[in-house]
Amino acid sequence: MEVIISSALEQGLIYCFMVLGVFLTFRVLDFPDLTVDGSLPLGAAVTGALIIGGHSPLLATAAGVGAGMCAGGVTGCLHLLLKSGESDSINYGPKLLAGILTMTALYTVNLRVMGRSNIPLLGVETIFEKVGAFLSLTMVGWNVVIAVAALAIVVKYVLDWLLHTEFGLTLLATGDNEQMIRAMGTNTNFTRIVGLAIANGLVALTGSLVAQQQGFADVGMGLGTIVAGLAGVIMGEVIFGVRSISWVLFSVIGGSIIYRLLIAISLRLGIAPTDLKLLTAVLVVAALSIPTVRRKVVRL
Amino acid sequence: MSAPAPLELRGLRQVFYPGTANEVVALNGIDLVVPADQFVTIIGSNGSGKSTLLNAVAGTFAVTAGKVVLDGRDVTKQAEHVRSRMIGRVFQDPRAGTAPSMTIEENLAISLLRQSRSGLRRGVTNRRREVMRAQLSRLGMGLEGRLKAGVNKLSGGQRQAMSLLMATIAEPSLLLLDEHTAALDPKVAATIMDLTAAIVVERGLTTLMVTHNMELALRYGDRLIMMHGGRVVLDIDKEQKAALEVGDLIEKFHEVAGEAFAIDRMLLEP
Repeated sequence: MEVIISSALEQGLIYCFMVLGVFLTFRVLDFPDLTVDGSLPLGAAVTGALIIGGHSPLLATAAGVGAGMCAGGVTGCLHLLLKSGESDSINYGPKLLAGILTMTALYTVNLRVMGRSNIPLLGVETIFEKVGAFLSLTMVGWNVVIAVAALAIVVKYVLDWLLHTEFGLTLLATGDNEQMIRAMGTNTNFTRIVGLAIANGLVALTGSLVAQQQGFADVGMGLGTIVAGLAGVIMGEVIFGVRSISWVLFSVIGGSIIYRLLIAISLRLGIAPTDLKLLTAVLVVAALSIPTVRRKVVRL
Repeated sequence: MSAPAPLELRGLRQVFYPGTANEVVALNGIDLVVPADQFVTIIGSNGSGKSTLLNAVAGTFAVTAGKVVLDGRDVTKQAEHVRSRMIGRVFQDPRAGTAPSMTIEENLAISLLRQSRSGLRRGVTNRRREVMRAQLSRLGMGLEGRLKAGVNKLSGGQRQAMSLLMATIAEPSLLLLDEHTAALDPKVAATIMDLTAAIVVERGLTTLMVTHNMELALRYGDRLIMMHGGRVVLDIDKEQKAALEVGDLIEKFHEVAGEAFAIDRMLLEP
């Protein structure tokens, strides 16, 4: 039982960066960004390729995050090309299409980066071993959980700080009332691109850590990321509440952990791993329709 | 020579959907100079081009021809968000001027940042809160005690008062009001209108106010412009305005427009 809990916690914390990224796009920017299905394996691919190439796992992880940020930036630029007018911020078509295009293009990019569809990372030094060596600890079980939790807390507070800066307020307003914030002299094209870059950097961080923790990078590992991310966001909001930005960032991390815990329990109950995507989709539909049914909008 | 006029429009033309069956000439050669501190009211029937005029000044779209000059600088080619640093705007929809899921203090912090570049300093500071409380208290709505309340908790009138404050707090060179009291109930509309007049006078703001309501257009402001078919068909100063009544204005309209006056909201409103 303890193993289930510690491994679910580990998974939930590793995936919480991705869920925070999805929260940033969906909730803060009001931009349903499908890039994440491609930027998660991008983080894994870049990190994997660099580690295999003999580079430091720290550098490899940072490069994975950087690549994810670029992918988000590309989606932001594509959105500018695809949208028709300045004030059609409620038209989700161009936003969805921009993400789908980047995601599709990333499939090729990821294969090119890796040179094949799968890179095994067994027997090489990963960021976990690097940190473990630094702290003179063996990176297994609870030690991994604590290390990733520490990183999650740092990331949470950096995001919290950012969203309370002057720039952060314009970022929040870009997703909340674009017409108003443009009339206040903010270039929303810029804030949106920066927001998408940060979000996809976080998603790629998860990809990079997943690859190093499970011992391989795979081109197919991003499938369903957006739905899993949404599930984490919604569970966090429903279970832990949305009273303020600082609070909701914790809620979202909590949602990510609960979601992985539910998956661990489902697997324990004998549900086939291949059935999980369908279950997650059903879960998201159910959770999304509850507010509609109760006429209670969960938004920040 | 004194300082350049806050707003100067030269031969402004705007054609929507050019070359198609839906082609509309929304602005057909507008020449207008608005001197400093002038409060101009703009009336006209639906489709006369009055809202298009405000949007052209604000830079919502690139105009087909002509020039927009703000404070002596040609801004015709400048992007909307760049021009916006000098222009305050309030829209008809009270929801348009504020960010609903953000707090009152976050909204006001954004409006205080208008002229500066937003950086990585804290957005809501205690010093800014002082300014906000002082500004909010003059609205007389008790909002100064609710800085942390979400804007979506406010009534339409409160939100429009917030919008007005946000548009004017950083003292723009030009204030554009696009039927900003039309969506409010009469009593609230009157409160917002009085507040508008007080702020405009107090801060010496050069203002363009579009309205459907002839009575408002006559009662407020120092100059009245009537638009029709994308042109300015009547332009009168304060003294001439004072001598007019709504009936005269309708007559005037028949005279200058030279065609049957479409029965629209303009006639139906008090």
